[in-house]
Amino acid sequence: MVKNITIFTSDTCGYCQMVKTYLKAKGIGYKEVNLDHEPERRAEAHKLSGVLTVPVTVVTKTDDSQEVIVGYNLAKLAPAVN
Amino acid sequence: MHDVVMVGAGPAALTAAIYTTREDIDTLLVEKGVVGGLAAVTDVIDNYPGFSKGVHGLELAESLREQAERFGAKIELGEVSGVHDEGELKRLETTSGDILAKAVLITTGCDYKKTGVSGEEEYYARGVHFCATCDGAFYRDKRLVVIGGGNSALQESIFLTRYATHIDLLVRSNIKASDVLQKEIQPYLDNGKITVHLGVTPKEIVGDDNGVTKVIGTSSDGKDIDFNTDGVFIFIGLKPNTAFLKNSKVKLNEQGFVITDNNLETNVKGIFAAGDVRSGATMQIASASGEGATAALKIREYLEGRLHNPKVEQLEVTP
Repeated sequence: MVKNITIFTSDTCGYCQMVKTYLKAKGIGYKEVNLDHEPERRAEAHKLSGVLTVPVTVVTKTDDSQEVIVGYNLAKLAPAVN
Repeated sequence: MHDVVMVGAGPAALTAAIYTTREDIDTLLVEKGVVGGLAAVTDVIDNYPGFSKGVHGLELAESLREQAERFGAKIELGEVSGVHDEGELKRLETTSGDILAKAVLITTGCDYKKTGVSGEEEYYARGVHFCATCDGAFYRDKRLVVIGGGNSALQESIFLTRYATHIDLLVRSNIKASDVLQKEIQPYLDNGKITVHLGVTPKEIVGDDNGVTKVIGTSSDGKDIDFNTDGVFIFIGLKPNTAFLKNSKVKLNEQGFVITDNNLETNVKGIFAAGDVRSGATMQIASASGEGATAALKIREYLEGRLHNPKVEQLEVTP
């Protein structure tokens, strides 16, 4: 079960838009961290994902385990949030 | 079963869908990446008609999507792995099962080419990038190398100046970007924010556990030059997204682009192609939209059984 979802994004990132569109279409809520507006959180995104890219979607489960999905990857995103 | 299935949802498909759905042609678009295609991950588009001050790629993509959906186009997020001609019907293998269609429009566009140099794969997304609008934000107050000398390389270099302290632009031969972009980049050359290095071919991308540290380039006289950097963005041209057609009957040219006739129909009856994926495409968003409109009208003629078919082989165009 999903407890909450955080997406690291940027203003200009088309793939971020796709992740948000997918979650909205499924009626799934999320919190967005826009790295253009909160650049001090870049290191957090990097630490979680191991890469220097957005979107990074962090799915926290009810047992507090986390699944991190890099990019717009439906094959990983869909099973993680549904 | 759908009247037409469009593989991809970039400007060509979204425009085609606006036309087909307005004619009550049942239309499904299947997109594996970003709705809007490469246009959606381009910062600013200055040459799309109707936007006197330019338009952000994401904004244009979103607007095209809304317009197509307003008339009834359905967009499914998934991947097409095969297209099979079964005569009157076409069968598409997708991640969510087979889809049947009376006609197919291939609009899968292109992706950026890779250099193939050592370090490119190893540091992918850890210092090597192909999307400035996605990954540029990680390079605030850092040094960057951009590889390429075409429109995308210059456009994205200008975009990256909002983050990077300095950009070394490595160009294998000469700048091939449009005059407009060459004028736009000039102020950044004048203030030293971007330095252009002509005649430099990337040889190796070097890094450590923290990411990329330098790019080694070879000059035209054969000498190696080190470019210290925190990241590399690569824009050296485009390759067509046609791997899913490998086992189909659709004819591709030597570079993998789809060959069509003047009706934008491939050698397989009822399968059309438009936009950047098509042999002879001009790789412009406005052209892709125009081809989308043409393809939609030709698909309508095909569905009504009144499309005239010239021989594809006689009309092959090399891009």
